[in-house]
Amino acid sequence: MHPFAYTAPATLADALRALSAAGPGTKVLAGGTTLYDLMKLDIETPSSVVDVHALRELTGIDTGGPGELSFGAGALMADVAEDPVLLSDYPALAESLAKAASQQLRNMATVGGNLLQRTRCAYFRGGPAFPCNKRRPGSGCGAIGGLDRGHALLGGSDACIATYPGDWAVALLAFDAVVDVAGPRGERTIALADLHLEPGVSPDREHTLEWDELIVRIRVPATPTGRGSTYHKIRDRESYAFALAAAAAAVALDDRGGVADCRIALGGVATRPWRCRAAERELIGGVLDEHSARRAGEAAFAGARPGTYNAFRVELGIRTVAEALRIAGERAVR
Amino acid sequence: MTRLTRVGAREKVTGAARYGADHTPEGVAYAMPVVATVGKGRITRLDTEAAAAVPGVLLILSHLDNLGIIPAGYIMADGYAFQSLQPLLDDRVAYRGQPIALVVADTLVAATQAAGLVRAEYETEPFAVELGADGAETVLQEEAIPLPFLADIVVGDAEAAFEGSQVRVDGTYESGPQHQVPMELIGSVVEWQEDTVVVHEGTQSVGALRGGLARQLGIDPDRVQVIAPYVGGAFGQKNALQPHLAPLAVAARRAGRPVKLVLPRAHTFHAASFRPVARHRVRLGADASGRLLAVIHEVDQQASRHDLLPATYTEITSRLYAVPNFRGRQRHVKTDAQTPGYMRAPFEHSAAFAMESAVDELCQAIGRDPVEFRLANDAEVDPVTGKPFSSRHLAECLRRGAELFGWAARTPEPPRDVDGTMIGWGVATGAYPSLTVPTLARLRADAGGRIVAEVGGHEIGQGITTVLTCAIADDLGIDPDAVTVVVGDTRAVPHHLTAGAWGTNSTLRAVHAALRELRAGLGAAAAGRVDVAAAVTASGRDEVVVEAVTQGPGQPPEMIDRMRAGLVALAGPEYPDYVSFSFVAHFAEVRIEPVTRRIRVPRVVSVVDCGRVASPVTAEAQVRGAVVWGIGAALRERSEVDPRYGGFLNTDMAEYVIPVNADIGRIDVAFVNEPDFVLNPMGVKNLGEVALVGVAAAIANAVHHATGRRVRRLPIMVEHVL
Ligand SMILES: Cc1cc2nc3c(=O)[nH]c(=O)nc-3n(C[C@H](O)[C@H](O)[C@H](O)COP(=O)(O)OP(=O)(O)OC[C@H]3O[C@@H](n4cnc5c(N)ncnc54)[C@H](O)[C@@H]3O)c2cc1C
Ligand code: SF4
Repeated sequence: MHPFAYTAPATLADALRALSAAGPGTKVLAGGTTLYDLMKLDIETPSSVVDVHALRELTGIDTGGPGELSFGAGALMADVAEDPVLLSDYPALAESLAKAASQQLRNMATVGGNLLQRTRCAYFRGGPAFPCNKRRPGSGCGAIGGLDRGHALLGGSDACIATYPGDWAVALLAFDAVVDVAGPRGERTIALADLHLEPGVSPDREHTLEWDELIVRIRVPATPTGRGSTYHKIRDRESYAFALAAAAAAVALDDRGGVADCRIALGGVATRPWRCRAAERELIGGVLDEHSARRAGEAAFAGARPGTYNAFRVELGIRTVAEALRIAGERAVR
Repeated sequence: MTRLTRVGAREKVTGAARYGADHTPEGVAYAMPVVATVGKGRITRLDTEAAAAVPGVLLILSHLDNLGIIPAGYIMADGYAFQSLQPLLDDRVAYRGQPIALVVADTLVAATQAAGLVRAEYETEPFAVELGADGAETVLQEEAIPLPFLADIVVGDAEAAFEGSQVRVDGTYESGPQHQVPMELIGSVVEWQEDTVVVHEGTQSVGALRGGLARQLGIDPDRVQVIAPYVGGAFGQKNALQPHLAPLAVAARRAGRPVKLVLPRAHTFHAASFRPVARHRVRLGADASGRLLAVIHEVDQQASRHDLLPATYTEITSRLYAVPNFRGRQRHVKTDAQTPGYMRAPFEHSAAFAMESAVDELCQAIGRDPVEFRLANDAEVDPVTGKPFSSRHLAECLRRGAELFGWAARTPEPPRDVDGTMIGWGVATGAYPSLTVPTLARLRADAGGRIVAEVGGHEIGQGITTVLTCAIADDLGIDPDAVTVVVGDTRAVPHHLTAGAWGTNSTLRAVHAALRELRAGLGAAAAGRVDVAAAVTASGRDEVVVEAVTQGPGQPPEMIDRMRAGLVALAGPEYPDYVSFSFVAHFAEVRIEPVTRRIRVPRVVSVVDCGRVASPVTAEAQVRGAVVWGIGAALRERSEVDPRYGGFLNTDMAEYVIPVNADIGRIDVAFVNEPDFVLNPMGVKNLGEVALVGVAAAIANAVHHATGRRVRRLPIMVEHVL
């Protein structure tokens, strides 16, 4: 842990000014459940932090409109998880939050900070003695050839196979969410699909935000498909654990039971939130049954590259997708 | 019997209870260790310049100073410490995570920052951290530690009997490594008051800390006070002197102020002991009718390079059944780690997993019901010594458990739920030795009718204060609120280590004897209600003080001196005229999801023979807690080791997966509750450890019943049943 400057601006505009005034090396602080943790591990070493947790401008939740749902970046995970509209019309979104972390963490953590949480890779977290290209570019990767039971099957590179651990972003991705971002150059909107990066040759770069930009809100286009959705998460214990394999699935059926719309995204198995268009295509226009659900799962994992200890998660992942589709199908509107 | 709620429950749930590190004396400074980041080697350079420049840094201790600390010796070799190796005294690095420096500063923030700035360079050496690794040296226990109770147990000719058996099972089973991970972190607050050093630390052994620290500093033990009224979970992790204490005492003396250390969670995985890897080969031979003829149990247990943890796996596997031919063999495999040690049911949990899984395999091979097989092979006398058991109600545990569980409805073919959920039922038994240690109890009765009991024991959450309060209130016929029990405090009486479930048996013995003295001192009858206030007033004194020291049957009196010195002094389970064990039977149901195969344990029934139940409320809590531990051991917990780096990788409570509430279903607990007056006049045996023994095997056997898969390595995870 290093000394750092701390400011808690009163308005969003002040926060943006404080951010650019402090220069690179500044970090936004929301609930702190990721940032403080990583600071204590000396992974994040900001020279200053700008605390936005108390900014009321960021906490709004609007799920009443016909066109879209909107979540302020500072809204708490616990509050969004219990939103009645989400619970009934977008269960995948609510479940992705409710099945994440613990109640204590959800009471503190924000839905904006959640998107930018970092991998749980033990070599990354374990300290400078372990090689890790994400922590120290060029130092190598401890996980490749090591204990990779929890590492990514999809989207890895020769430099890094770290799993993106979050759940919420996965469910958001299935619903084509976008993120509104503010910075000294004004506001812009990034598709959630374009927010996270695969590791490639520079695993230290994880997302496309600039250091002086703030996530203001997350928006999700309204869709009736939301009703027929679930976030199915398999983990090593029943609560308070990251996913071994998770799938956000959403299905809408036509009057004859055919699949009219389908969304599938994977969590806990890829280096970023992972949308599975090929798996969706497997199903759209067909019928949803045990066999087609399994085929969709297989399509989702077609490109999987297992390592030493994580190969079982390909089969587990396929089954997780199939189960998610079954649950989503049971909830689906016709 | 007085049915008390737990003494101290309110203080604990309201946060009023003061644990060791809650103590914050005036002017306290904060310490933070720096740990080695290589698997083995030598420190060639230690650069503390940047760290020393951090404002507020007072001291940086390392091998570069002469700390003047004398190693305190290994607890199981007439010493006090969890391992013989005392870090910070030379440039050697024996394992990843070993402390190499200690920073002391005005604030925790400064100490932490500075610790992060200490740079070490090393000359590294090859190391081995796994049983099969190159360089891991294997030694036979009976040669390496030539003590009678550690010799191989041999009864009859097990090899010949096994070869001649009609039905044979031969399996290899493995468990560990695991860590205790109690809620309370390891920590200490050390303060010099004149020439006396006062230690506030959560520990199971204030005596070992006192004796050990005195030896390390070369001072008289009377100049060391150790205070530990509450311990926030220990489970063996805090059963000895830890290497942080002497450097803290040196730091406090040099800084001229009290020093506090609370280890970060990640450090605790290397700072203290852990449950070692144990690999068992079990061979069982039986005749076609299901009579057990031969057991061969061979164990390889992980050790450190510097100490051998005396292994007693075969102590129970030789006695669970009436087997005429038994051969045990226990070996140690030396690895480059800190010394592994005692974690709840240290040997018995793992031994029972192996043995009771193998017995399940045998039942399967013969086609016998596992409960019926166990009843048919129950032992009447100790198969090893031929002596009687002080009491043995294992059959009753099995019968009662089977009834409570509804075992009669079990079919060899596992049932399936409508949604395809696989259901399995499993049973396993366990045993744990009844050990006794020398104990001193002092009772003070005052004219207000109050009793203060100062007893050599520790409140480690097991409920000893509740047990003793009940016992004293019941004996004298007084209100439990009039009784105060003082444990874990060297200012009161000398203390033996509290572990191995010997606390209740040992402290109740001493309190029972002291109560006889007290009755005499008060001029009261040998039994019946006593008007304490009136009797003290009549004596004409302010208070009546009595003392009693007790020890295990057949234990030589020198053992009392060892206890006074803070050394280990155990008696049992083989006593002159009998052997003594507690017994348990566990029944578990598992349900496994049809598609994604998560394993759940909706219910467990556990029936324990622990002699008389001394305190129902804390006894039930002990057993439930143990079953939770068993579920963790069976399905969750595993310390991850990367052989390329050494040490442990998953060193926090997010990644070291202990069970959460959502993992736990219904747990029904019952007790045989037959007093064992052979072992002691209160009729109690032991409970805290035996309750865990066999849980993992019952679950593994249930998983086999449900899926047909025999998983011989713990924990059983989703990949094993996919
Ligand atoms: C033990 C544990 C278990 C967990 N389990 C799960 C789990 O199962 N599933 C899961 O999904 N998550 C899990 N988490 C992660 C948790 O959900 C995140 O830590 C949390 O959502 C982060 O939110 P926060 O508000 O605390 O963010 P902070 O820690 O404050 O910030 C996180 C990051 O986001 C940046 N940031 C925050 N807000 C903004 C903003 N408005 N604009 C730009 N940047 C911003 C910060 O600079 C920082 O880099 C777990 C965390 C812990 C500690
Ligand atoms: S997987 Fe990525 S984060 Fe983990 S050690 Fe390799 S480079 Fe580092």
